[in-house]
Amino acid sequence: MTPPDARSQAVIHGLERVDPEFVLHLPSSTLKHVLEHFLRGAGATARRRVFPIPREEEGISILAGLSLARRRAVMIFQDNGVGNLLTSLLTFPQPYHLPLFGIVTRRGGIGEYNSMIHTISERTEAILEAAGVRFIQLDGRTPTEEWADSIARAHEFSVTTHRPVFVLVNLMGG
Amino acid sequence: MLQRPDGLRLIAERFPDDPVILTLGGTVREMLAVAGRRPNHLPILDAMGQPAAIGLGLALGVGEAEARGRVIVVEGDGSLLMGLSSVATIGHLRPDNLLLIVFDNGVYQATGGQPTAAGDADFAAIAHACGWPSATDVDSDATAFADALTWAEDQPGPVLLRVRIGTETVETDFFLEDPVILARDFMTWLGQRRQAQLQG
Repeated sequence: MTPPDARSQAVIHGLERVDPEFVLHLPSSTLKHVLEHFLRGAGATARRRVFPIPREEEGISILAGLSLARRRAVMIFQDNGVGNLLTSLLTFPQPYHLPLFGIVTRRGGIGEYNSMIHTISERTEAILEAAGVRFIQLDGRTPTEEWADSIARAHEFSVTTHRPVFVLVNLMGG
Repeated sequence: MLQRPDGLRLIAERFPDDPVILTLGGTVREMLAVAGRRPNHLPILDAMGQPAAIGLGLALGVGEAEARGRVIVVEGDGSLLMGLSSVATIGHLRPDNLLLIVFDNGVYQATGGQPTAAGDADFAAIAHACGWPSATDVDSDATAFADALTWAEDQPGPVLLRVRIGTETVETDFFLEDPVILARDFMTWLGQRRQAQLQG
């Protein structure tokens, strides 16, 4: 596998500052370097549990259960799965004020190779805003050297404000 | 035939010091009617399809902390079918401290009794096929259910009990507590229990 690009490496650094005890992941080609770090790389430590989940809403529920037990966890997934998780998010962790943290990779923009994924991915911000879900964006407008700190601070923001917070990361150059 | 209020009463009596995740409105209100508000009970007010996965997260969370604990999830057939993929994830991760009790009345009772597809779903077989070490159907009477709860305590987890129940209910009011308070009360109880276990 080719070495991680600077943005993927920044995401890895940011997540390692969060130091999640549990990493839940869905399939994503753009996140392959980040996932590789946790599955087989330096992030695959004995005190960390890394596991796949089949759907985003199930991941939200598992994160909520971990949050009830006050454990640090993150779900890593693509923005085309945001639609799947809305009911789960808005019927349990959001109204119960449980902090959750997610890294969401952007699809559908410049550099995209899939001819249809933009249909949902371009609407990610609008969907999250309409749902009242807090998120921050990391893309070409933010220097890559600031990404890791932003990810760590976003996680802290979730804990201090008792709610789900997602970080939208563009690993496709946009 | 076992009725849900009677089954819930048995669960409240059997698990006074373990976290109990309660599925949706009807089950929540009936548990309140037969057992009152309990600090170890977490009512899931309207998150259909989620209780098993919430219980999985909680089981992973408390099970790997310093103080181990059992987690009980009370689920219905309709809600479990809505989140059925969680059965596969639980089988993959195999938290040994998770007990999933499925009260199967074959209908979406809270919305007027429309039928579910559970009549043709063998939940115990599904769980076994997904890697659960322990899953079984339970005869629909109070003695058999009490015996099954005892049996479950000695089995390697996760454990699934599927119990067919009747549709008799008890008269209840709506439960309108602020969900923030529900979560905070439950987390406070969980933290206090952990402290007590560490000190004990």
